[in-house]
Amino acid sequence: MTEQATGPVPARRTSPRIVLVHTATFRQARQLVPYALPALAAVGLGGGRWTVVGLVVAITLVSLATAVLSWWRFSYLDGPGAVVVTRGLLSRSVRTVPTDRVRGVEVEAPPLHRLVGLVRLRIDAAAGGSAGAGKDDELLIDGVSPAEGDRLRTAVLSSRGRVVPEDAAAPVPEEVEEEFARFDNRWLLYAPLVGGYLAVPLAAVGALSRVVDEVPDGVLPDVDGPAIDSPGGVVGVVAVALVLLAAGAVIGAAIVNWRFRLVRRGGSLVAVRGLLTRRHTELEIDRIRGVAVADGAGMRLVGAARVTGLVTGLGDAQRRGQLLPLGPRAEAEELAGRLVDDPGPLTRHPTAARRRRIVRATAAGLLVTAVGAVLTATAGWWPLLVTGVVLTALGVPLGRGRYASLGHATGPRSFAVRVGWLVRERAVLERRAVVGWQVKQSWFQRRAGLASVVACVGAGRGGYIALDMAADEVAAFTVAASEPWAEQLVPLTPGEVETNRSRTQA
Amino acid sequence: MTTAPSPVREPAWSLPRSAIGLWLTESLITAAVTVAVVVALLVWIPDDLGGPMPFLRWAVPIAAALDVLVTVAVRPWFKHRVYRWEVTADAVHTRTGWLSQTWTLVPVSRIQTVDVTRGLLQQVFGLATVAVFTASSQGTVRIWHLEHGMAQRVADDLAARAERVRDQAT
Repeated sequence: MTEQATGPVPARRTSPRIVLVHTATFRQARQLVPYALPALAAVGLGGGRWTVVGLVVAITLVSLATAVLSWWRFSYLDGPGAVVVTRGLLSRSVRTVPTDRVRGVEVEAPPLHRLVGLVRLRIDAAAGGSAGAGKDDELLIDGVSPAEGDRLRTAVLSSRGRVVPEDAAAPVPEEVEEEFARFDNRWLLYAPLVGGYLAVPLAAVGALSRVVDEVPDGVLPDVDGPAIDSPGGVVGVVAVALVLLAAGAVIGAAIVNWRFRLVRRGGSLVAVRGLLTRRHTELEIDRIRGVAVADGAGMRLVGAARVTGLVTGLGDAQRRGQLLPLGPRAEAEELAGRLVDDPGPLTRHPTAARRRRIVRATAAGLLVTAVGAVLTATAGWWPLLVTGVVLTALGVPLGRGRYASLGHATGPRSFAVRVGWLVRERAVLERRAVVGWQVKQSWFQRRAGLASVVACVGAGRGGYIALDMAADEVAAFTVAASEPWAEQLVPLTPGEVETNRSRTQA
Repeated sequence: MTTAPSPVREPAWSLPRSAIGLWLTESLITAAVTVAVVVALLVWIPDDLGGPMPFLRWAVPIAAALDVLVTVAVRPWFKHRVYRWEVTADAVHTRTGWLSQTWTLVPVSRIQTVDVTRGLLQQVFGLATVAVFTASSQGTVRIWHLEHGMAQRVADDLAARAERVRDQAT
């Protein structure tokens, strides 16, 4: 605040220590690989130890040179109204982002950055509109000290459209922090029941097997696989694999969520997390339009849930919007309630919706059964018929489960919708979040007296559906869940329809 | 028109009748493709292949004929009865679809951009589509097949009004 001196402010530079990090990671030199490969092929690798050593030295020198160059050519400046980043090795590029376009600032500290005591800032500056926010909407300031990172974050975020209240709030220089959530390491035990974390060890196994494939045959020790002829052996192998899978999921969750903390600081929510890479994400509370509480089938078994903030114009919302990555249900509900008013318990959807869910869940099984019946009759091949019957039988509880998830609720300031069984999600949204309604009715829904309503919002996934609600409740729901313009969806009363009809007939 | 009352109010205005011509042309093109595929099937695939072939040789043409009949003789007129639109004091309201119907309502205060597009066939019939975009990827409302001059006027009017009442809340 004292730095708003008159006269030109000199552009700031990143720390020279970042050159070390970029040399080690070949950050800039990576771009040269497409050119280097043909050159190498042309020169040829004469073989011999010295060639290899020379190559390594040369590559490192090239990497060092490009890292130095790009550090030297990079500068940034945070003025009162905009952030300016100047960079480019040969062609200069100057990007100016008005601070009122900045939607969030993320401070990251990957392992190498931590070694040399630096952080990396991502300034999310989505251009707005319906166009998907791509990587271009992000300013990257790589390699500043943590203190400078904090200063820059605060400067960018506080100079943003909040000039007037700044004077009023000036006497309180230290913003009060209020803790919203803190990760308890015991919650890591939930990880094996969450789909996303289970994928971590599987991906690791896939990567490892690819590496093993690459290694020449002679190098690997010739190990015979353990004999798994006996049924006991199979059970043992499966059990070990499951334990490893669960352990991998826990480790994966720990790496991402280590010491997760969510605090409110002034008008922002700040989430800090990560074991290797510390991430520091800041979301503006004013832009939070709702929350999504997800509890999949596995998480429901142990009473766990996950909370994501639905924030307008947030790039990479799935990752940045996470407010509670994993935790007990009660904790998740409490957090959701603090951010958006709870609209109360969900209203169930009519029983016609249950019929429809069951029909849809068993349809595939019935088709397989029909084909299987034909095959059994014509060719005497019965396994498909059995598969079809089993699938159909499984479809019934699945359909019932999906129906049990359906629900909607409206409160004075917010509303909620819930769908899904394997991945169940309840979205709680503010009324002002709705930018449009879409009411869908198929021929079957019309006959069953049902309709689906999509609340279109400029946050999260863009639309949240209330599946198969009673058709005659649709209009009332839209009016209760958004602002007065939705009253245009209310059908004319029978009386009005009658007068209209008689008028046209007359 | 439909047995059950619709869940929400119907938009007031229907599309120009030239939209039927456009839909009919579209239907004729898809019907021609269907017929070509069926003829190719009958000509090129031998009769004595065994398996389900004898059954398919008469089932597929019948299904195709039914499909062509519905697409050409019913769908264009049916769609003309379903497609409706209305621009009120503070919202854009449309109904689209035919067997499955969709009503979309977007308030003028949340409109971000308004486009007018004219496809190849639309140009032949002098029609245009008004697309109204909001901050939500799913909250886009399209008014299909308006007369071109009308589409332009609607788009200009909506854009001007959105500018005046724009709500920053998104």
